[in-house]
Amino acid sequence: MARRRSRAQRGAGIRITIGAISALVLIGVASVFIFTRDDGGVSAGDDVAAAGVRAGTGPAAATGQFFKRVGDSWKATERIEALEKENRELRQWRETSLALSERLERYEDLLKMPREAFGVGALADRTISARLILDAGGPFKRTLLANAGADHGVERGYIALNEHGLIGRVVAVGRRSSRVLILDDFNSKIPVMGLQSRARAVLAGDASAAPRMDAGFATIAAPRLEYQAPAGVLREGERIVTSGDGGVFPRGLLVGFAHRGEDGVWRARLATSAHPIDYVRLMPFAPVVAPEAELVNDPGPPTPAVASSAPVTAVALPPAGLVAPPKTRIRPLAPVTPAADEDEAPPAPDTATPPAQAPPAAPAPTPAPRPQ
Amino acid sequence: MKTSLLTPDTQRGGLRLAGLVLAVISVILPAFPLGPLASHPWMPMAALWAAYGWASEAEEMEKLQAWRGVRAPATLALLGLLQDWIVGGPIGLYMIIYLATYLIGRLAASAMRSPNILSLWAGFIATCVGLCGVAAFVAPWALGGYAGLTPFAQACAVTAALFPFVRPLYMDANTV
Repeated sequence: MARRRSRAQRGAGIRITIGAISALVLIGVASVFIFTRDDGGVSAGDDVAAAGVRAGTGPAAATGQFFKRVGDSWKATERIEALEKENRELRQWRETSLALSERLERYEDLLKMPREAFGVGALADRTISARLILDAGGPFKRTLLANAGADHGVERGYIALNEHGLIGRVVAVGRRSSRVLILDDFNSKIPVMGLQSRARAVLAGDASAAPRMDAGFATIAAPRLEYQAPAGVLREGERIVTSGDGGVFPRGLLVGFAHRGEDGVWRARLATSAHPIDYVRLMPFAPVVAPEAELVNDPGPPTPAVASSAPVTAVALPPAGLVAPPKTRIRPLAPVTPAADEDEAPPAPDTATPPAQAPPAAPAPTPAPRPQ
Repeated sequence: MKTSLLTPDTQRGGLRLAGLVLAVISVILPAFPLGPLASHPWMPMAALWAAYGWASEAEEMEKLQAWRGVRAPATLALLGLLQDWIVGGPIGLYMIIYLATYLIGRLAASAMRSPNILSLWAGFIATCVGLCGVAAFVAPWALGGYAGLTPFAQACAVTAALFPFVRPLYMDANTV
């Protein structure tokens, strides 16, 4: 009663207490942490968290695995039959796929196209397999923690994907763990394209869609497809792949399928969200280097002698759409005789020849016109 | 004559400890693969309950011993640090969130004349709204301009909706 009265009597009014002062001081300390942010502390924390989860969930996972195996053994026959049926179907698909792949390779050889294997620029033979051990998300950030780090060869910027498609990329690396920023994080913006329509878009994570209500390790919401170019040509259900623009991801990695929501917003139903994400492949990516960065000593095709100096050459090129005047040869004046005039008459000018094709293979030196 | 072995102070200490354990669990649990119900936004942020409840009792604590007033902010800062570590940084974001809740809770407690369950609940809802305002400034600063507030607001709404059920863990039951 006395306590209640003391509360009621306290009434309105702000009192500066030791608790409030210490809270303000600690907020200042936290602000300094944010100002001087360093991934080193986070990576060290990731290693500790990864070790803790390994130690904590190891026995539980082993026990769960044991009971799962015991449970599965009751319906082993049915499962084997289903798998055999699936295997037969897959073999047919494999044959079809191989035939089509061979045909495609031949076409590409004919066109002299560079090979496009597992996404252009992806180094598929240097991938590192890892297991996701923490769904370390929160209201502000969507990340996953994988149990492979610098000791295993993982580096920042590695692409994370599994057998279904793209998951994200590595943003922080510890010694034995790495943190993967998944596609529906606010800071995840990936250039993508529709495989059929070739429409370009930016896959923008917003983490606003509610997670799926199925039991799984990690589920990813459907990110938006923003800044479409050209707009309005995406098709419902179209496969969305990385476009490779910007050089962060290789081209051609499956992201998901285009879907227009009831609110009219295009989203990508991520291919990886249909299944729980457990194991990932961390893959390095070597982007296509700009030609200026690795110039080769290539003299190029032989240039006509008329291009002796740049300004004169530039002026000599007529604008598109104009027809060049007929070529005339300047000849010294000669005494006019009827017979000689008929024999040595210059050929009729070919006015139908477009100006771009005008220079012959070995043109005679002609005086360059003066700039006006 | 006492009929119980537990004195009111012991009971209060036990409830307070349970509240702290619940806050720690709510920080750690979303990181484990336990499905969407154990992850945000469905998982309430128990550290907000703790911050609000401890803020309302701060004055009485400081009357007993001055240093006890530091205990709550320090614990909240540690909880924030732990969450920042688990989530993957930047270090300091959740520290600010929880300490800001504590400060807003102090303001709400000062403004309350006759606390009861409804006014305490309303105070917590107002604290959550104020906290969303704080987060709207802090999150883009810490995480970049793309950071959105919707999931955090959803988590705050879930936390506010469940507040009456857990209030005894963080506030003295005799106040109502």
